[in-house]
Amino acid sequence: MTENNKYWRGIEDQSNPELSEKLAQNEFSNEISQADFLGNDELAESSTSRRDFLKFMGFSTAAATLAACEAPIVESIPYVVKPDSLTPGIANYYASSFYDGYDFASVLVKTREGRPIKIEPNNDAIFNGATNARVQASVLSLYDGARMHSPMMDGAATSWKEAITKAQSLLTENSVLLTRTVISPALKSAIAKLGLRHVSVDAVSQSNRADVYEALTGVRGLPTVELAKARLVFAVGADFLGDWGGENLNSAYAAARKPGSDMLRHIQAESGLSLSGANADVRIKAKVSEYESVLAHVYNKVANAVGVATVSAPALREDIKLSVEGVANELIAAGSGSLVLNGLNSATAEKLAAKTNELLASEAFNTSRLDFTASGSDTDFAALLEDIKSGDVTSVVTLDTNVLHFSSAMASLAEKVSLVSIADRLDETASKAAVALPMSHYLEAWTDAIPVDGVYAVGQPTISPLFDSKSAVEIVNGLAGGSENAIDLIKASASTTGNAKAWNALLHDGFATTDKMVEMLYEVAPSVDLSDVKVSAPLKGLEFYTYTKAGMGAGSNANNPWTYELPDPVTRLSWDNYVVMSAADAVAYGVEVKAQSNGSMNGNTINITVDGTTLENVPVWIQPGQTQGSIGLAVGFGRTEAGKVGNNVGVNANSLLAPAVSYAEATVVATEVEHGFASVQLAHTMMGRKIVNEINLPTFLSGNAKEWNEKPTFESYKGPLTSFEANLWDDQDHETSHMWNMSIDLNSCTGCGACVVACSLENNVPVVGKDEVRRHRDMHWLRIDRYYSSDMTKEVAEEEGVGAIEKYAKMEVPSESPSVVFQPVMCQHCNHAPCETVCPVGATVHSREGLNHMAYNRCIGTRYCANNCPYKVRRFNWFNYQVNDKFTDVNPSQDDYGRMVLNPDVTVRARGVIEKCSLCIQRIQLGKLEAKKDGRQLTDGEFTTACAQACGSGAIVFGDVNNPKSEVSHLKQEERAYHLLEEVGTQPSIFYQTKVRNRA
Amino acid sequence: MYTTSKFRKLSTLLAVFIFLFSASTLQAFEGDAKNGKKLFKSNCASCHKLDKKLVGPALTGVTDKYSEEWLKKWIRNNAELRASGDEDAIAIFEEYNGSVMSAFPTLSDQDIFDILQYTIEGDVKQVPPGGDLTGVTTVVVESKDYSKQITLGLGLLLFVMVMLLARMKNTLRLVQGEDPVSILDEAGWFWGRLINNKGFVTVATIVVTVLFLNQAYWWMSGIGVEQNYQPEQPIAFSHALHAGENQVDCNYCHSSARHSKHSGIPSANVCMNCHMYVDGSEITDASGNLKYDGESSPEIAKIYAAIGWDGENREYIEDYEERPIKWVRIHNLPDLVYFNHSQHVNVGKLECQECHGPVETMEEMYQYSELTMGWCINCHRETEVQFEKNGYYQDFHEELTEKYHGEKITAAKIGGLECGKCHY
Repeated sequence: MTENNKYWRGIEDQSNPELSEKLAQNEFSNEISQADFLGNDELAESSTSRRDFLKFMGFSTAAATLAACEAPIVESIPYVVKPDSLTPGIANYYASSFYDGYDFASVLVKTREGRPIKIEPNNDAIFNGATNARVQASVLSLYDGARMHSPMMDGAATSWKEAITKAQSLLTENSVLLTRTVISPALKSAIAKLGLRHVSVDAVSQSNRADVYEALTGVRGLPTVELAKARLVFAVGADFLGDWGGENLNSAYAAARKPGSDMLRHIQAESGLSLSGANADVRIKAKVSEYESVLAHVYNKVANAVGVATVSAPALREDIKLSVEGVANELIAAGSGSLVLNGLNSATAEKLAAKTNELLASEAFNTSRLDFTASGSDTDFAALLEDIKSGDVTSVVTLDTNVLHFSSAMASLAEKVSLVSIADRLDETASKAAVALPMSHYLEAWTDAIPVDGVYAVGQPTISPLFDSKSAVEIVNGLAGGSENAIDLIKASASTTGNAKAWNALLHDGFATTDKMVEMLYEVAPSVDLSDVKVSAPLKGLEFYTYTKAGMGAGSNANNPWTYELPDPVTRLSWDNYVVMSAADAVAYGVEVKAQSNGSMNGNTINITVDGTTLENVPVWIQPGQTQGSIGLAVGFGRTEAGKVGNNVGVNANSLLAPAVSYAEATVVATEVEHGFASVQLAHTMMGRKIVNEINLPTFLSGNAKEWNEKPTFESYKGPLTSFEANLWDDQDHETSHMWNMSIDLNSCTGCGACVVACSLENNVPVVGKDEVRRHRDMHWLRIDRYYSSDMTKEVAEEEGVGAIEKYAKMEVPSESPSVVFQPVMCQHCNHAPCETVCPVGATVHSREGLNHMAYNRCIGTRYCANNCPYKVRRFNWFNYQVNDKFTDVNPSQDDYGRMVLNPDVTVRARGVIEKCSLCIQRIQLGKLEAKKDGRQLTDGEFTTACAQACGSGAIVFGDVNNPKSEVSHLKQEERAYHLLEEVGTQPSIFYQTKVRNRA
Repeated sequence: MYTTSKFRKLSTLLAVFIFLFSASTLQAFEGDAKNGKKLFKSNCASCHKLDKKLVGPALTGVTDKYSEEWLKKWIRNNAELRASGDEDAIAIFEEYNGSVMSAFPTLSDQDIFDILQYTIEGDVKQVPPGGDLTGVTTVVVESKDYSKQITLGLGLLLFVMVMLLARMKNTLRLVQGEDPVSILDEAGWFWGRLINNKGFVTVATIVVTVLFLNQAYWWMSGIGVEQNYQPEQPIAFSHALHAGENQVDCNYCHSSARHSKHSGIPSANVCMNCHMYVDGSEITDASGNLKYDGESSPEIAKIYAAIGWDGENREYIEDYEERPIKWVRIHNLPDLVYFNHSQHVNVGKLECQECHGPVETMEEMYQYSELTMGWCINCHRETEVQFEKNGYYQDFHEELTEKYHGEKITAAKIGGLECGKCHY
């Protein structure tokens, strides 16, 4: 029965079995003629049969294959008229100046065949010759295709003439020119010529601090600091190694903190863990709203000692009261060697700090030489907003300020004014403008600057404008009806600023001293008056503040991939901004950060409400060292019109808090939404190992290096041997010629990240984007590890009798108030390299100059070497980042502009090979070649690696240890010197110097 | 009559000829135009041409305009002549916007006469002996290769011998009373035995496979090796003419080879250093006629087109949109290798020819060397380091000599074989 069961496929089977049968036999029932099928009668008549078609196909495929065997024709196109100064293959350097309203730096621009490819520090400069991560990365912003290509009018491209005419027609007597801080005298005179009311406002404001000095001296600026004269610095919320004012204090700080009896002591009081706080000897956790009272208490204590009037101040929290009093006592003891710095944008805080310095007669605090790089005025800006509201101002010209991004108040009023925007791209502000005028990147423009009293700097173009853009000074002058070129305007300005150098010498050096201090109107710093000071009470509830990140800064590089790819030095997260929150608060608000099974980190998000405005789904990062009751969010993120890289990365912190406001009370609600972080470091503590060797100053001064810098030894029949002596391998011959070594002073390293960006640019390291970083496939050749101390140590465990399992579990947890250390790690160039012995194809081999070579063209991608490397410094190219679609939005090499920044002396690696630090072998080879060509011996310091060059604090020293006169050979003999994981016996060419903290 | 008229015609012609000839000899200086041409080329050609204004005036007919004495003075020291207030001299000086002609005090009277004679006679067409020849036949002497014929002959001999043997064998069989066997049958029998012999088949297979793989290996290792690559260039530039015949130093045009990683293709303005004066118009064909009717050579004109040079007015065209010359690169190294010319030319003191071959004989440039890694490495193994007179090696030289006990110290011994020296 069952075999004969018939199943109908549908009702049609039953209704018309015959038809069904026919259909079943002939699936394609309707015969379609070939001609019908092709739908073209002519085809039927054509003599080309299907076979012919296949023949043609076959032939053309074969022909194409054969043709592909031919090497492509490469054209070499020489100059028609070669510029005299240029030889293809040889780099030219030009002095220039960087200023974006936040950072100022005197730089050297390295160009190859007319393309700027690297920013290098101007070591001769008298002010800010060092480059930080942002300045290093700035060269890539030049090649940003998202920049405006031509003047824009109502969303369409137009000519300069029409755009200027249209812009001029929008200007009335009541128009306002809104800029970031202007330090260019040429631009100032162009602005004066334009004759509009000028308001300057900064995205990261120091306005209230500048107000104090303006009231005192009549000149708007911030005091300068001479750390060399200080023995004790107490910084309250002042991240002077990160974003405090325009002065780069890294090198002075490192110099002052050379271990010794006169080592500078650094105490930091702050809310979030900043770079300065991470480097401090003692760190006091204070909320931002407590900064004023901390300063007031210190002042009162000092005032009492000196015998002047105190100010009334709210009581301090019990847990920090003692520490603050201790600080005050130390300051009094240090006398004129002490220095109090305030970072809070508050006149009260600044006055208290200045007055304390005055009472202590601080030699390091200099109010008679002001720094002008952050002198925007929040008061003027607030007045402008009022005028726009009332309709008094109907048109605004913005100059290099993305005000609609950082000021939500201005954004809400944007409809009420007609905007003319001078900007580099159609950003949040320029895209709303009736006329947008493209401003050249600083590497294409003529600029000048007086960043600080007595220093005049110029910036010269190093490439013709890539797009139809002009120097800012030329645009403003053009709006004012002038027709001069930018170079003439700068020349005129240079001749009137009283600088002593001739024009060519000025361009050659990039800076000059001015005999008369240009804006200097005062001789002796007047006394600070504290009579009207009112110290505000700390917030009871949760406070919200904004801060800046090392990569992003104020946000002018917001479409620059290196800004995002550089992990934050403290959190070690890239491609994000997030709320930093203390562990205790995290428990209270029910948020967590958890490691995922694939090794990445996910966390909860929160909604933050400040003053009625809510920012939704902001990720939370639990940050050791964060003050309880205080949450911070980095500015510069959350862009929508920056370009493909920067758009929609993170959230806009300024939508909750205007730059003028330092903190506000916030309410926080945890949400259901999870957020994935791109963390490059999951281990936060050293688990009791000697990775960063850290000691306190008294230990160091005791001089017993054998104890505090103990070398690992191995028992043998000959007695205990060091890892250099106990050794199965034949020694490499390193006696003849050079032996390159590198010393990294962990005491000088501030963790700023300049070296990481410099390395990436020098060595064409690809940008991989958030998704890949989440998979720990970041490609940085040089990373800066950050370790927190833990409350659990081996000693504590012994004392308290904690068992091994519990001990190690607790050791993984960073302390709530940790000490922080930074350690740059790159390929250690081991002389007994574990990677070399496992490579099946001999792609990584040792050189007689002490380097570990990596031949990419030999590498077949087994990754044995990476697995066998104890330092985890080898990186694998998972993709062809420069062509793969996945990286279109992040990798700069994916378009023709971005490719121009590549260093032509270094291979762009292909997919499937390992890469790693080469110790900048291209620089070594070039340096040696120059010496050979000149027929002379190499001198120490003649060339150095990109990281050592970028390091403002001089923590990295590179050189030839076979040269007994070299700095690095002296450093190798230092008692602080040690090798990373020396017990492994790899005999690295890189060595570190023990970190010394100035505390008991 | 016929003869007479013919004779008359001939005599008239002869008379005219004699007259013309005597006229020119009358006018001529007693100079040797051949030597004059030589002197003209070395002393005058950079500013003068016979038939065309260059920096200075065209010189044909100069002897008609000025007296012999005057010319002698002018050529020896024109400044002196001008200073003496000679009107002609001042006039010509002003006509050429005060461009000063160099003085030639070393030229003897005879030299000057020779040059002047050359300006009169010009470039004498060289009539090849034997009268009218439209083209010159080049006699190519080739050494004949007879190996093919020899092989063929030997093959034939072998064939005949095989046939003979077969015939002989059959004759012997016939003598023995057996049936003769055809040679094809015998071959078939032999083949049958061979093909069924496992040993033979195995060996043959192995031999064929090995031969095939060997060939395939060599063929594949040749991929990307562009030895003898000789692409057509946008300008028919001849190294044989410039570096060979005219002895221009390689470094004159490829100046960056001494300083930079690139040898550098000269920019058009370097070409113009000479080609501002040498425009190729004087090039003659085999029969001695001007090849380009006095115009500049079409190849040199390409330089002018690139840079915007107006040959007529002898000036650069203002606001000219330059058209760079797109040369085809011959020596291509892959991106993964770093090569620096100055290291080899300046420090290693290698002659260009060691890698680029006899460039001075190449009409059209081609890749002489393999440019493979094996080729590089081999040279590094064989080439001694140029320690002498280079202060850089001052200390190492002694150390190395001691270490290698006086063996010759090659580039390889100081790390010239290390991967990272070229690959980074």
